[in-house]
Amino acid sequence: MNNKALHPAHNSQRPQGRIAILASLLVASLVSGCAASANPAANPAVDPASDPVSGGILDVSISAEPGCLDGHGISATQQQFLGRLIYDNVVTLDDDGEIAPYLAESWEISDDGKTYTFHLKEGVTFSDGSPWNAEVFGLNLEHMRDPATKSPLAAAYIAPYVDGTVIDEYTFEAHLEYAYTPFLYTLAQSWLGMNSGKAILESPDTLCQEPIGTGPFTVADYRPGQGISYTKREGYDWAPEWLEGDGEAYLDGVEVTLVGEPVIRHQSLVSGQYDLTENLAPQNAAAVDANPDFTYENLVRTGSPNVLSFNLSRAPFSDQAVREAFVAAIDTQAVTQSLGFGTFTPTDSFLSTASKYYDPAVEGTLHHDLEKANQLLDDAGWTGRDDEGFRTRDGERLVIDVPTVESTTPNPLLVQLQGEARKAGFDLQIIQLPQAQLSELRYAGDYDALAGVWHTNTTDVLFIRYHSSEITGERIGQNSSYVDDPTLDDLLLAARAADDGQIADEAYSEVQHRLLDIVPGLPLHENPSQFAYSNAVRDVAVDTSHPVPVLTYAWKAE
Amino acid sequence: MARRILFRLVIGLGVLWGAATMTFLAVYLIPGDTALLILGGPDARPTAETLAQVRSDYLLNEPLIVQYASYLGNLLQGDLGQSYRLRIPVTVAIGQQIGATAMLAAAAAFVALPLTVLVAVLSAQRSPWVRSIVSGIEVVLAATPTFIIGFVLLIVFSFTLRWFPIGGDQGVIALILPALTLALAVFGTLSQVLRNELEDVLEQPFILTARARGMRDLPVRMLHALRHAAIPVMTLSGFVVASLFGGSVIVETLFSRQGIGALTLASVYNKDLPVIIGIVLLSAAVYVVVNLAVDLLYTLIDPKVVTS
Repeated sequence: MNNKALHPAHNSQRPQGRIAILASLLVASLVSGCAASANPAANPAVDPASDPVSGGILDVSISAEPGCLDGHGISATQQQFLGRLIYDNVVTLDDDGEIAPYLAESWEISDDGKTYTFHLKEGVTFSDGSPWNAEVFGLNLEHMRDPATKSPLAAAYIAPYVDGTVIDEYTFEAHLEYAYTPFLYTLAQSWLGMNSGKAILESPDTLCQEPIGTGPFTVADYRPGQGISYTKREGYDWAPEWLEGDGEAYLDGVEVTLVGEPVIRHQSLVSGQYDLTENLAPQNAAAVDANPDFTYENLVRTGSPNVLSFNLSRAPFSDQAVREAFVAAIDTQAVTQSLGFGTFTPTDSFLSTASKYYDPAVEGTLHHDLEKANQLLDDAGWTGRDDEGFRTRDGERLVIDVPTVESTTPNPLLVQLQGEARKAGFDLQIIQLPQAQLSELRYAGDYDALAGVWHTNTTDVLFIRYHSSEITGERIGQNSSYVDDPTLDDLLLAARAADDGQIADEAYSEVQHRLLDIVPGLPLHENPSQFAYSNAVRDVAVDTSHPVPVLTYAWKAE
Repeated sequence: MARRILFRLVIGLGVLWGAATMTFLAVYLIPGDTALLILGGPDARPTAETLAQVRSDYLLNEPLIVQYASYLGNLLQGDLGQSYRLRIPVTVAIGQQIGATAMLAAAAAFVALPLTVLVAVLSAQRSPWVRSIVSGIEVVLAATPTFIIGFVLLIVFSFTLRWFPIGGDQGVIALILPALTLALAVFGTLSQVLRNELEDVLEQPFILTARARGMRDLPVRMLHALRHAAIPVMTLSGFVVASLFGGSVIVETLFSRQGIGALTLASVYNKDLPVIIGIVLLSAAVYVVVNLAVDLLYTLIDPKVVTS
């Protein structure tokens, strides 16, 4: 079904999910029928060499809205795209995925890795006229971690930040509690974009609805539940170098409309009502891809791919053999193919292939082998079979409880896994729950497995997902597998403290192999960023931090 | 008359209090940790300090009775609280959306009511096959979920014929399909009721008298019969309001429009308690006002209602 349904860890609170699925069922054939012939108007010849044209409004449809537009206060996926319109960051990731200057010209890191000295770009202003400087940088870090901001994400990313010193107007020294190399990477993420210091001090309550950044566009009007109008920022002149442009944006503005239904999002793109859409549903991808009037992008997100995480803290997945058996029982190639309509890339790693320090040597370690699965389960004592053919041990059935957010049709991924698992004798139970209840279960650890993704631009994602300190306890963590392995913990700590380079590379490689020994879950497929736009839209850049469209120097051909 | 209105007002306030309390309890009983929802659900990774702050800000650690007392106290001061999700006052959140829904509902009523009157007046006491066809269409429209009606209209008029945009709020043209979707569902039910009433009235002796005086058929129907048949239909105005508001939840989502319906759906999904209560109170207030207005209208249409 739609992409979102497979990713309960992100945006599963999207209210339109049920209708979306019903809609797809209802009209899938009808719509795909007319979609093919839907664009009779010939596109003007594309001349990639033509000079950019200034002006025009870009009409964009998005699948969900964040509710609040202040990156510091939200964790919504759409922030990656929407945030790039209005915010600039202290640093950025360049074309090669390396940290590069943005609102900071340069920086030094102390030998102990605990002091970062940033030399900030001069002459940058926020759209309310207030200046960007060292004091404002400090205010932003404080704002992110201020409990009153209710940050679901940014605060945790900068958790090692202790305090900062304003050395002079454009020099800021950040002190960390311990060496934490991911610091710069997280600062490049849109959730950690820089807000106006004036707004933070004077009117923090307005940041959600009227965020003030230094970015190429400003929010002219936010209509919750409907859309956001962005206007070009006059005088903008500090885009990161990798965008290969100078000065203001070409577009006069960007008009973003919330279109929750994937079928309608697709139709309205094809009909020309919108120029660009994000989160294109996989079932529509082939049609758009085949249409010469459109550009379709299917990019791998960095971070954690889609993994069915096992709960190692309780039976049956506390047993290594059962975990290995489950992994061997599932034909992920087949599952992924049918789920993503061919647009999903299967993976057998716990780290996205697009992530820095991804070690290709892990490939092929986990693979489908039903015979092996059966052997492992036999050896583990699950030798009995009940009337329905499920395996039993001491009269107890081999049940795997997998809670998921409720919808009118069961989660297609879990249905597929259910069928595959059954072949080895697993009784995979899909438990559909309201979002609130699912969250509670998740944080209480009351499940056997959970499907989900976690995308971030730092390989520290492996710490976030598998370090024992990230197990939900006093605070909420994302180690939903309850991995508690001292060897792995040491490796992860060493990796995040190591300088970006050889040592980190080796440490992260070891982490990836260690994970394959532990088998904290079943890696399924890469987490894709799928978007499409009309060929009349030119020079859409893509961020290596999160592969979303960046519209700073995009323009519309006549 | 004044006493009657006062009495209705007191009852109305009681209804509002009841609605507020029931909603408070219902949302409270939905399982799940509200603090986690405020912080963004499963894709969140809040720090311990943030979590503690949220729990204390929203009194989530307090006993139910304390939360309820605080909530009622604020309500009496006109303070509906802050939306968990949008982080703005509920009154502002609803205020932003009410105009769009009111416009949609008004447009739907503007289509549905004349259509109902026209079809019912013209089809009452006609040949069996006319009645079967018309009432067949009505039954189908009344029984089909709004979502399906909307989707069929979209497929025909937007996807295929391309007469209308596939959604959005841009201008009057974007209002037509959503309004029609809502209107058709209301029409399907109202028209059946009105026709049945008209057919009863048309049997009445005073109609015969009017006809005997040489009055032509259409004026008899419009001037005499309709007025008498209108009262039972007006009693259904609660249903009409409910259909328009309830239908807006689906229609606004389907047609990518803003409005109370879209806000309701997002709020329920996110357990955004303050907004949900605000919307319930608003709907309850609308019902109270509509019923009061209908009461008064009765006396205008038929003065006998008061004396009886």
